[in-house]
Amino acid sequence: MSDTIPRPLPSASVASREKVISIDNLTKAFGSVRALDNVTFDVFAGEFVAIMGPSGSGKTTLLNILSLLDVPTGGSYRLDGIETARLAEAEQVVIRREKIGLVFQQFHLIPYLTAVENIMLAQYYHSMADRGEALEALDRIGLADRADHLPSQLSGGEQQRVCIARALINDPALILADEPTGNLDEGNEERVMGLFKALQASGRTIVLVTHNPDLGARTDYVIRLQHGRRIA
Amino acid sequence: MFLRMLRQSFAGNRKRKALAAVTVALSAALITTLFALSVDVGDKMASEMKAYGSNIRVTPRSENMPLIIGGRDFNPLRGRDFINEADLPKLKDIFWRHNIVGFAPRLTLPVVAESGGRALEAGLIGIYLDRNVPLPDDPGYRTGVRSINPFWHVSGAWPDDGAIDGVVDVLIGGGLAARLGAGVGTELSLADPQAPRSTSALVRVAGILTTGDVEDEALVAPLGFVQRLAGRPGKVQSVDVSALTVAENDLSRKASRGAEALTPEEYDVWYCTAYVSSIAHQIEEAIANVTARPIWQVAAGEGAVVGRIQTLLAVVSVAAIAAAAMAVAALTTTTIAERAAEIGLMKALGAAPWQISLLFVGEAVIVGLIGGIIGVAAGYLLAQGVGWSVFGAGVDVRLITVPVVLATSVVTVLAGSIVSSREIAALLPVEVLHGRR
Repeated sequence: MSDTIPRPLPSASVASREKVISIDNLTKAFGSVRALDNVTFDVFAGEFVAIMGPSGSGKTTLLNILSLLDVPTGGSYRLDGIETARLAEAEQVVIRREKIGLVFQQFHLIPYLTAVENIMLAQYYHSMADRGEALEALDRIGLADRADHLPSQLSGGEQQRVCIARALINDPALILADEPTGNLDEGNEERVMGLFKALQASGRTIVLVTHNPDLGARTDYVIRLQHGRRIA
Repeated sequence: MFLRMLRQSFAGNRKRKALAAVTVALSAALITTLFALSVDVGDKMASEMKAYGSNIRVTPRSENMPLIIGGRDFNPLRGRDFINEADLPKLKDIFWRHNIVGFAPRLTLPVVAESGGRALEAGLIGIYLDRNVPLPDDPGYRTGVRSINPFWHVSGAWPDDGAIDGVVDVLIGGGLAARLGAGVGTELSLADPQAPRSTSALVRVAGILTTGDVEDEALVAPLGFVQRLAGRPGKVQSVDVSALTVAENDLSRKASRGAEALTPEEYDVWYCTAYVSSIAHQIEEAIANVTARPIWQVAAGEGAVVGRIQTLLAVVSVAAIAAAAMAVAALTTTTIAERAAEIGLMKALGAAPWQISLLFVGEAVIVGLIGGIIGVAAGYLLAQGVGWSVFGAGVDVRLITVPVVLATSVVTVLAGSIVSSREIAALLPVEVLHGRR
């Protein structure tokens, strides 16, 4: 998979042991229901971590909080040493676009924009759209010849790779992926996992939510949740 | 990138955008039609109201109190002041000359009409029926009662204005015809009431006239014939003027107390507005030694009806705009609900709410402009249809309508988009991207 190797981060330091994520007694309650109950863990720079658990265990809620798309009702979440609970919404938006790349199970590509334009959209909201750079990103994931295709003209695996290229285009230090292979066949699942491993090798920190034990086994370690609690 | 997104959004959502543009176009067409009608209805209705006759009467200054009873003028012509017929073209030389639809001078001579041994005293009204009055800038200009009093009904034929020699054709009022037993083709001998046995002229009835006024008991003949019979060539007693006027208001009512009651600024505004009183004032300026008086029953009625119709159209226009704004608001709200995932994604990618709103507002403005242009074109055709079916003439859609309706369409979609901006701000990406729980 030589065509799927992303470029390394400018400041890549795989060996670094800096904490990227620090979660301490994190709680999220919806009324009387505790979706997350005193969850604690750390993720260090360059690690590839899986969050696993059955449906309703709180995996996606946890990923939403890590993405700064949701706020906890208790506990602490520090991202790169910054206590996120103290951030205003506008500051959270800035951190999300500067530090985080999001990969979705449903891909969430804008249907009327081509593959390259979907990637340029992330550039546009980050700083400035650059078609050449977006085409390079597509080339690195092996989709240079599909640049001007609409999402409806791409296979599921191709759409997911475009989604990953979009997540990477602004050089985020942290990749958060929610069931990225949930809608893919075995061949595309393997291709996407290879891409994530290459990303880890280039210094990115990756948190992957998955049901699939085989995928979990290919990460550095697994955080297991059940009924909102960390059980392993 | 913003323009690219706009372009691609339109290219990828042609049906949805077309539906939105059609919605705006329908509203814009309605607004165009109503706006064109409300602007033009004043002129249209004023023209229409001219069917009710003249609205200004001009008389010699010394004859402010005419003594007319039962259609007969009891003021003897001898010793009276007259208006010179030669001065009448000056009516078409005043500031509001284009608003003078027409005029009809009169000279009434008391006569005894005799037919088949029956003789009755009646007024012989000399008048312009349909007379060519050459003007410096319009040598073919024609005027007379046929144009300013379209409600005059004639059974038979109208006499020829120029045929005043020999046995002259006249109209006879319906009431007088019944009493005299005269009909179309009947010859009447006319005599001076002071010397009823000496026939002074022979006339032939060309038509029976019905006006609902004094003419029903009189004879109506070409003015030149009556002037010759009366020995008053080139003289007339009064002139009925039909003028297009605007509704009276506080300023014109103040002016009715006398032009000197107005401040110089008020005078300028009053003088340059087509009030019946200001037109009457200008007639007095143009023709020496005359008094021009509005016939208030007609003039006030015209202004009131036109004013009320314009108010009604304005209210309907505002209602149409409000309805369009609500329709657009509903449409954009639906669009936002359908594109929630897209909006959530943009927020997740780090877009500020204003950046997302800008995209939707940009789309709305383009839809507003496209819909507005289509609507103006459709509204123009609709206005013509309404004009022809209601007034029997096309509606003059002024150029100002185009920018006004386009601006209204854009403002309407922007007003409708305010709701969408709030929806966008309130939308949480977590709810549409991952599912909340």
